[in-house]
Amino acid sequence: MKRGRTLARRAVVSLIGATALFVATGQGAKAQVAKKEPPLEVKGDASERPWKRYAGWPARDESKYNTLGNLATPPAPTQPRKITKPITGNAEKGAGLAADRDRGGSCLACHVMGPAGGANLPGNVAPDLSEIGSAGREDEWLFNYIYDARVYNPETVMPPWGSHGFFSDQEINDMVAFLKTLKSKAVFKTELDDPEKRPPPVEKRENLDPIENPGMWAVDKAQELWTQKSATAFSCNTCHNDPKASFKTWAASMPKWEPRLDKVLGVEEFITRHAKATTGADWLMETDENRAMSVYLHYLANDTPIHIDTSSPPAKAAIERGKELSQRKVGQLNMACTDCHGKSANHWIRGQWLAEPKGQYDHFPTWRTSLLAVWDIRQRFQWCQVNIRADELPPDAKEYGDLELYLASQNEGQKLSVPGIRH
Amino acid sequence: MAEKPRLKLPKEAKKGEIIEIKTLLPHIMESGQRKDKDGKPIPRKIINKFVCEFNGKAVFVASLEPAIAANPYMQFHATVEESGTFKFSWTDDDGVIITAEETITVT
Amino acid sequence: MRPLSRRAALALGAAGAALAFIGLGRRASAAAKEAADMIAKFTGGKTAEQGKISIELPEIAENGNTVPLSISVDGSMTSDNYVSEALVVADGNPNPGVATFQFSPLSGKAEASTRIRLATTQNIIVVARTSKGEFFTNQKLVKVTIGGCGG
Repeated sequence: MKRGRTLARRAVVSLIGATALFVATGQGAKAQVAKKEPPLEVKGDASERPWKRYAGWPARDESKYNTLGNLATPPAPTQPRKITKPITGNAEKGAGLAADRDRGGSCLACHVMGPAGGANLPGNVAPDLSEIGSAGREDEWLFNYIYDARVYNPETVMPPWGSHGFFSDQEINDMVAFLKTLKSKAVFKTELDDPEKRPPPVEKRENLDPIENPGMWAVDKAQELWTQKSATAFSCNTCHNDPKASFKTWAASMPKWEPRLDKVLGVEEFITRHAKATTGADWLMETDENRAMSVYLHYLANDTPIHIDTSSPPAKAAIERGKELSQRKVGQLNMACTDCHGKSANHWIRGQWLAEPKGQYDHFPTWRTSLLAVWDIRQRFQWCQVNIRADELPPDAKEYGDLELYLASQNEGQKLSVPGIRH
Repeated sequence: MAEKPRLKLPKEAKKGEIIEIKTLLPHIMESGQRKDKDGKPIPRKIINKFVCEFNGKAVFVASLEPAIAANPYMQFHATVEESGTFKFSWTDDDGVIITAEETITVT
Repeated sequence: MRPLSRRAALALGAAGAALAFIGLGRRASAAAKEAADMIAKFTGGKTAEQGKISIELPEIAENGNTVPLSISVDGSMTSDNYVSEALVVADGNPNPGVATFQFSPLSGKAEASTRIRLATTQNIIVVARTSKGEFFTNQKLVKVTIGGCGG
């Protein structure tokens, strides 16, 4: 891949080629649309190069660990570290560390731990440790479970807090000391704090009501962009003058394997490459224009059940790759998509509900209330990665295409409802 | 392109009916609590007042603080005795007043 | 937390009563004190009677950035006696003031819904005034959820 080249440099060449596809009248253009496969700019990347992480996101460099595009994580230890003397540590410090959200989410993200963190909305992905102090566990076992639980369970979801550098040996000793004090059930201030009693959230908002969902402004914006003429004097409308009719089901058939690019193309990347090759509009992925158009194209297909190609050989291969990627442990926290959205689905991670993949795709792009922004699925992938302390890939990475195709296949039959509205 | 305020209220009503009105205004409601990437506080800039009038008379007024979320949403009621025009005004800290209007037929 | 009897509340004085009603007692934080001061200013030192106000908030807010809030004050809305104003404060926010709603007989109902920002789990306190100079109050605790991984 040629770094630093954006589609802009190819504009003139591809525009001349694209213009040649068009005839003078709109009628002719429509006839062309009906017959040919959609023109795509195949050269260059569909997002900024070099890819820079979004402003305001954690700036950590996690190149020491796996990403979905690169393997780098050091191998797991095969043997527990020998602890020959009883562990002494500061239990009070250990309690503080257990609740410290700056160290990769805190133990309370997954465990109820007696009084740690004020028993304030702990999660229940993993066992309740409130009585671990009377469970008869050896110090060595407690130490190594925190240091690197893979020596006891190679399939564990537990991050390798010691071997991946989150906590020093002394800090782990302090946490072991704290665990040894836990001998009675947690006392919750309210029933909501108890993850076993907390009712799972139900999304009831009217996401397509423009007064309820600020994301609906993206539809207005896209409708304006639709008729906006670029330097070529063409707009989307030149060829697609009845988007309501023409795109009634299209987005529900995406993403799709694109042989001209040898990768899976999602709606957002399609928008970038198709606009560039036709009207000449420069709508790179993760720009406001691209997101608005993606919202609109999905919106036009609302209520259509997701139905993608899963049977052609390239689609099958991509889905298989996507499935493997969803199982790859990445980042400093050493987690795979399936750790949260498979093994731990329908559990609380701190105060947030982990959902299964089915039902987690049909509302993208979605308005995010915590961020006051529309997010597409690629940005969502990137955010999950950065938060498990893995470097994200550019949004048009082929690995994200494979992952999206796999996710779409798990959402077969789900009806589109875009823009969504979520936290 | 500036996003337009959203208004939702009935086009018709019976005399004496109490109707529900919903409004949504695109606005960042910068609270003054946030800091920019250099650590400097971003100055406050919010809608500090929302007024709904009907045929010139105040129906509902809200004084807003930075604790009102971005894209301020207001839902309230009005009792209508005659046909006329609802006028909605949002006052920004910088003095600019954004307005919108909607008519209603009352029988 | 039990609301104080009217007599006990009067004995404490308006600001103190508000604090005690909130249930923070001697441990009142700066925000809670400021909230109590705002309430005292709104009531002119009078004690607000518990009741007549219903407050709708999620039990757990999905984030602190936009929390739906609805308030409804029971009472007549005729020109000789109507709910004229409702003050909303958040006792755990750096600036506790949230909004003041002004109603008139033309409002039909003394109800308002909006979306608010909450810095943390805290109480939303509503104080309503009628055109006859009576004051009512109610409050509700809302938990702001804690993110699992930052996502």
